[in-house]
Amino acid sequence: MRLTDLLRTGPFFLDGGMGTLLQAAGLRPGEAPETWSLSHPDVITGIHRAYYEAGSHMVLTNTFGVHPLRYPLSKCEAMIRAAVDCAKAARDTCAACGEHFVGLDIGPCGRLLKPLGTLDFEEAVGYFAQIVRIGAACGVDAVMIETMNDGYETKAALLAAKENCDLPVLVSNAYGADGKLMTGGTPEAMVAMLEGLGADAVGVNCSLGPKALRPIVERYLAAASVPVLMKPNAGLPKDVNGQTVYDIPADDFVRGVVGLVPLGLRIMGGCCGTTPMYIRALRHCAANMVPPPLAEKRETVVSSRSQAVALNGAPVIIGERINPTGKKRLRQALTEGDMAYVLNEAIKQEERGAQVLDVNVGVPGLDEPALLTRVTEELQAITDLPLQLDTANPAAMEPALRRYNGKAMINSVNGSEAVMNAVLPLAKKYGGVLVALTMDEQGIPATAEGRLAIAERILARAEAEGIARKNIVFDTLTMPVSADGNAARTTLEALRLIQCRTGCGTVLGVSNVSFGLPSRETIGSAFLTAALQSGLSAAIMNPCSDAMLGAMLSCRTLNGQDPNCGEYIRFASALPALQAVSAAPSGAAAPDTAGQEGLHRAVVKGLREEAARWTRAALDAGRDGLSVIKEEIIPALDEVGRGFEAKTIYLPQLMMSAEAAEAAFKEIKAAMGGQQQATRYAMVLATVRGDVHDIGKNIVRLLMENYGFAVTDLGKDVPPEDILAAVQRLHAPLCGLSALMTTTVPAMAETVALIHREAPWCKVIVGGAVLTEAYAKDIGADGYAPDAMAAVRLAEKLTGGPA
Amino acid sequence: MAAALHTAELGEIAPDETEILRYAMLPRSAQDGADLPLDACLAEIRGRIRCRAVWREFPLIRTEEGLDLGFAVTRSKDLGRRLSGCEAVLLFCCTAGTEMDRLITRATLRSPVHGLLMHAIGAQQVEGACDALCAQLAALFPEYTLSPRYSPGYGDLPLALQRDVFAALDCERLIGVTLTDSLLMRPSKSVTAIIGMKKNNAPDTVSKRSILLYRRRSLCV
Repeated sequence: MRLTDLLRTGPFFLDGGMGTLLQAAGLRPGEAPETWSLSHPDVITGIHRAYYEAGSHMVLTNTFGVHPLRYPLSKCEAMIRAAVDCAKAARDTCAACGEHFVGLDIGPCGRLLKPLGTLDFEEAVGYFAQIVRIGAACGVDAVMIETMNDGYETKAALLAAKENCDLPVLVSNAYGADGKLMTGGTPEAMVAMLEGLGADAVGVNCSLGPKALRPIVERYLAAASVPVLMKPNAGLPKDVNGQTVYDIPADDFVRGVVGLVPLGLRIMGGCCGTTPMYIRALRHCAANMVPPPLAEKRETVVSSRSQAVALNGAPVIIGERINPTGKKRLRQALTEGDMAYVLNEAIKQEERGAQVLDVNVGVPGLDEPALLTRVTEELQAITDLPLQLDTANPAAMEPALRRYNGKAMINSVNGSEAVMNAVLPLAKKYGGVLVALTMDEQGIPATAEGRLAIAERILARAEAEGIARKNIVFDTLTMPVSADGNAARTTLEALRLIQCRTGCGTVLGVSNVSFGLPSRETIGSAFLTAALQSGLSAAIMNPCSDAMLGAMLSCRTLNGQDPNCGEYIRFASALPALQAVSAAPSGAAAPDTAGQEGLHRAVVKGLREEAARWTRAALDAGRDGLSVIKEEIIPALDEVGRGFEAKTIYLPQLMMSAEAAEAAFKEIKAAMGGQQQATRYAMVLATVRGDVHDIGKNIVRLLMENYGFAVTDLGKDVPPEDILAAVQRLHAPLCGLSALMTTTVPAMAETVALIHREAPWCKVIVGGAVLTEAYAKDIGADGYAPDAMAAVRLAEKLTGGPA
Repeated sequence: MAAALHTAELGEIAPDETEILRYAMLPRSAQDGADLPLDACLAEIRGRIRCRAVWREFPLIRTEEGLDLGFAVTRSKDLGRRLSGCEAVLLFCCTAGTEMDRLITRATLRSPVHGLLMHAIGAQQVEGACDALCAQLAALFPEYTLSPRYSPGYGDLPLALQRDVFAALDCERLIGVTLTDSLLMRPSKSVTAIIGMKKNNAPDTVSKRSILLYRRRSLCV
């Protein structure tokens, strides 16, 4: 029988612990087990043989710790070859009968991927690819990726395996007692992503004993359509007479594992602390058990790093705000690379109850593939919500899909041959839920039947490509009712028809219906209600609109999808407060005069909203923006700055004042519109390569902006050449560098030297916990600032402005 | 003979507002009446943080090459002083986890003050988790007096010792903490430290000042 068939049939037995046995054979603490394949091949072969003879169908090579980040590639190759040889030798010489397999063991690389860590995703894929290629060339039968405690790294490894061999790939993650990976992944999220990427089996290993892992395995069994595996520890380690022992004996271990076979567990073995004795007992007990047949789960699921969202239950809100069409401010932010604005749009929608975020960055003239990838990476670092990647450009879709940390919604494919040819293979390779638009080369059919015909054509092609029906949802296309009185009716008819005939879910971008009409939300919310009553699975909508959100939550409540009306009540009770804020007249609590004392005090005290109100009042009273800055804001900031220097005011208070001043500046900027503003000196700011501390740098940026410098903040871990490029592009007279570690100061020295050589006009000021005035001089900096206020003073001195 | 690697689940540490504001560089004397958005930040973290630790015991041997800590040999005089009279050490790594870093990024997007406060909350979480772990260890080894924790990078104890610490504790696999080429720990709110184990009734040699100095610097961990 083929290995994949055996895995799907079960019970299939894996091996047990390796490290535990090596320690018993003399492996010293801190010594790397993988080196023993070369130094003690007989011991490794003996352990594999013992597992085969105990009943393992497949043993894993002694390559868990082999990784190009730890060893030169030639050493990796030598260790993998030796390890595979050991496993094959054991297979050839073992006394047990039956089919035996060798699995290439791949463990985590020991680094956290960006943005939480420093390793780039593609770099990680590249390293895993090297391991897979060597292992496959050595003739292993399968690849097993195991003990992964980060979902993103798991994706990198699985992608590398799928791209570099045709072998079955088993994927196993290590969960904490809270049922989550170290980086927050849940069983449902992992199953969605890994199945999408084509894993042949998924499951859990290490960390805990079988009893503690049981609830996690049950969640795997409920979510997975592929076989589920389990390789628990023999409990927790204890020191007994100087020896490490694990606290669950073999019979308890076996009881814990086999109890899951009737629920569907079909691949099993052991991890830390388990020995051939455990596997023998497991096989003895479970060999004749028959797990229930594998069943394809029907849920349509998308996932993020940390959560899965099903599209089969209550209708799902897909936030539409990250789409530049008709949104001037977002367009500007995307053009200027202002990610903070984009990310805040995501947070706002999340706080309003969005469950998926649409991401469209199509701005003419911008590099869409690069931008969509960047925005995707930035978003997935801060939000728990799954993303809907929204582009008509397959060249932009692929890199974003590749780096997406989960199972995305892919928006979109349609019935045109060229589009299907480009998009369907991406959905097959990377997984995802495809949004299929019911249109083709001929346009949008005028009738519901016409749209159904396209839907059926797309479905047939997708299924032929190997994409499951559950992973397709149809968009029957919302058209403006102002242009065609029957538009909405046809869309909803098509929606009902397609759901009924195909059994697939549906999605609509509802806002388009009201285009060209007054009071758009009135008709938009009515259309949403009608679509939901027609069975809509997910609405692409604006969750920040009370009318739209109200319609959605009302429908859920009326359909019995909101237990105790809780969600609706929370929404409704926030309404008056929201209205009070949005309707508050500027004068309600605001000053009636444009007195200096009010604004000055607001800035000094760090009162953001009050500062904005006083500023608006001053401008309304006819004051000139520049004079408000010069006569009120700057003196207030100076007062705070002096207080900080005299240690009567402390850092958080200084920052509150700076934020209040920022709010005041924003009002002035808005009022001045396109008017000429005071000359602003450009400053490039960055935390240097290798360093990820940015708190001090962020404070410097806030203050420098207050004092009128135009700051370009390049972020953290920035290579010298990128900093130079920004200085040259802006012809910046000033550059600020931050480093907090003795190990990253050399990168700072390198950056200073590069700027002085290539951009001699630019003065470089440096700061950070480990620096001193003398050291700053040593590395050639033009100045040293012990704190943010000092940075402002120094910048003014070096540039002669701008305050 | 290798002692076992132990993990500890320390959960979410109860917030100590005075301590958090001190980490945010607002001394206790200036905390009264300071109007900072700390409550909003604390509401963000509630129920989301799980501090974890891994620890291991090693014998301590004084050799001609210096102090043999069981996982590395060091000539650090500062550590030597702190371990005087000790016969073994406990080595640990403790972390507030990746979610803390994510919350810091989100707070920083909201405003720099929110970012600063979230950093401070993270520092208090991991320091509080270290305190909780140390209390557990003290209860586990009642026959010993445990010295205050001391970390690589302090005094003359080189930061490069981190590589040995990570090899000895299997931090990545057990609690998800990794070390970068520039010896930074990710997640950022993580602490590694050494604790000396001295049989009871031996004289205490560690000054209070060194503990304070250590704590004040921990915002940079």
